[in-house]
Amino acid sequence: MATTGQALRPARAAAPLLAPATLVVAVMLVAPLLLVLRFSLDRYDPTELMIETVTGANYLRFAADPFYRAVLRTTLGVAVACTVLCLLLGVPIGYRLARMRGRWKTACVLATVLPLVVGSTVRAVGWMILFARGGVIDATLRGLTGHGLELMYTTTAVVSGIVSINLPFVILTVQSAIETIDAELEEAAQSLGAAPGRAFWRVVWPLALPGITVAAILCFILAMNAYATPYLLGGPRFQMMAPLLFWEFGTNNNWPFASALALVLMTTTLVLTAAGNLLIPRRYRI
Amino acid sequence: MRDTIRLARRGLLASAAVLPFAATRPAAAEEGQVVIATWGGDYANLLRGNVDEPILAPEHLTVVQDVGDEDPRMAKMFAQRRLPRGSDDVVCLQAVRAHEANQAGLLEPLDATKVPNLAHVLPNLRTSFYGPHIYSPQVIIYNPDKVPDPPKTFTDLLDAKWKGRVGVGDINYFYVMMAAALSATGDANKVDAPETQALASKLNGNGLRLYPSTDSIGAGVKSGEIDVGLMWLARVIMWQNAGIPVKANFLPEGNVLYLSGMVVPKNAGNKPGAFEYLNAMLEPAAQQAFAAKMGYLPTVDNAKLTGKVGQQLAFPDPAPKLVVPDYDITGKLQGPTSEWWKKNIQHG
Repeated sequence: MATTGQALRPARAAAPLLAPATLVVAVMLVAPLLLVLRFSLDRYDPTELMIETVTGANYLRFAADPFYRAVLRTTLGVAVACTVLCLLLGVPIGYRLARMRGRWKTACVLATVLPLVVGSTVRAVGWMILFARGGVIDATLRGLTGHGLELMYTTTAVVSGIVSINLPFVILTVQSAIETIDAELEEAAQSLGAAPGRAFWRVVWPLALPGITVAAILCFILAMNAYATPYLLGGPRFQMMAPLLFWEFGTNNNWPFASALALVLMTTTLVLTAAGNLLIPRRYRI
Repeated sequence: MRDTIRLARRGLLASAAVLPFAATRPAAAEEGQVVIATWGGDYANLLRGNVDEPILAPEHLTVVQDVGDEDPRMAKMFAQRRLPRGSDDVVCLQAVRAHEANQAGLLEPLDATKVPNLAHVLPNLRTSFYGPHIYSPQVIIYNPDKVPDPPKTFTDLLDAKWKGRVGVGDINYFYVMMAAALSATGDANKVDAPETQALASKLNGNGLRLYPSTDSIGAGVKSGEIDVGLMWLARVIMWQNAGIPVKANFLPEGNVLYLSGMVVPKNAGNKPGAFEYLNAMLEPAAQQAFAAKMGYLPTVDNAKLTGKVGQQLAFPDPAPKLVVPDYDITGKLQGPTSEWWKKNIQHG
């Protein structure tokens, strides 16, 4: 008991050190969110912008209109597809990176991190050059087969763009999770007769699951909220929540409805993230 | 007491709402400084090279450009409407957005006593709150290398031979709808008429390509993605100068004018400076420079165009029908039309 008390004392002493960060988060994150919540209950008026009231009309409008529900479905579909693709590509790469040694490891980690140095918009422009009519892919295929391939303004373009942005985050998160798992555990499993694949699946995978879950959550959240990539690579006809939200906010000046869309997007993301976490066995949950 | 609390709460909310835009000028902004919220790129460079430096710098008026898109500029004006002092003195807006802002009571009235050059503004472009800067008629554009027999009217674009070959700018949706309204009803203001919407939907059904920006339409013509489209005449001239194969046809049913200009918010910090700015941009030399570099027509009667520019911008004979929409009507239809476009054309 005395030991517990002694352990708590330094923790209590350190608590004031958290105060500035807590204050910053409260002011810069919670307060704006509360403001967005308040705006979402207002009524839009073309000349007054917002009329202060308390109404759920903006949320009802979203729920009742098949167009907005379809946009949310598209957003979810893209986010899930990107998350699955990033995990399929990122877990093997992360595992390999974690088990690498020496100069090659440094070079490969650098190569993974390098795309993060370039902003997502600039990367999207790079994809545009690849995907556009007369772009690298179209021109190459046209030269080889006589038939081009236009990928701009398609779901493929958007998913490719988002995967390219999110993949480094997944790889690095998975790598750091696997690095904490002692390689000797795998060797022990193999010395007891487990094939490498079985050793990975029965030993590494369960232990890495919390880290892989974090990677998936990170990827899913980033994909749900993607703005520049769907806007640039999807074009005007490809509707996702973030560009739609900005259209309502900027073009229509409908702040109450844009606020409601923002909260619907945020709530959906949070609920699905929590639900996804529930699918993981309890002992491996984060 | 209850009212006081309500007002205080509203004030707090309004203040919090403008926090993102709080990088405002110091309360006592220098009298010799004017802040203009404008588009970037060529437009901003031409303002700097033909208005800010040659006309206003000698008058000891320093110009600060607040570069960005039009939508955030509008949002900023709305957000700052209750502040005693906004962050911008001059705001560049298309005419339809300026009327929208005026209907919301955000704009300072303007006349020739404040801005003397307003007396030279063409009569059909005059209003009591807007400094029209440049204008250009919307025309049918086509690639002369691939289209020997170009479409002449809006309804010609519905021909199956143009399936997937017609492109418009998504951000120019309101002008496309006005062109459809002119064709369907004879009145550019009837963008919400069922006939207009049916015509626009038919165009969409013919494989209409939507481009996210005006420049990307030029790229679409250059790459061969589209052969035909709707665009301002000014852009055609810019693209021709850039070597893109494109020509224009005036629409016999009428050509809606794209009109861009400047307004002064009611809470501008330096209104005398703002009026001086508007006066400078209406000077003949500045107007002629915009015509030469961007292909837009002068909005004043004392800026004559000569030489190559004069030839490029000369209207054919007989003169095309130029249509100035009733912006008081279209300003109210902006929101509903945007909603309709989003659901039926973008998502159609």
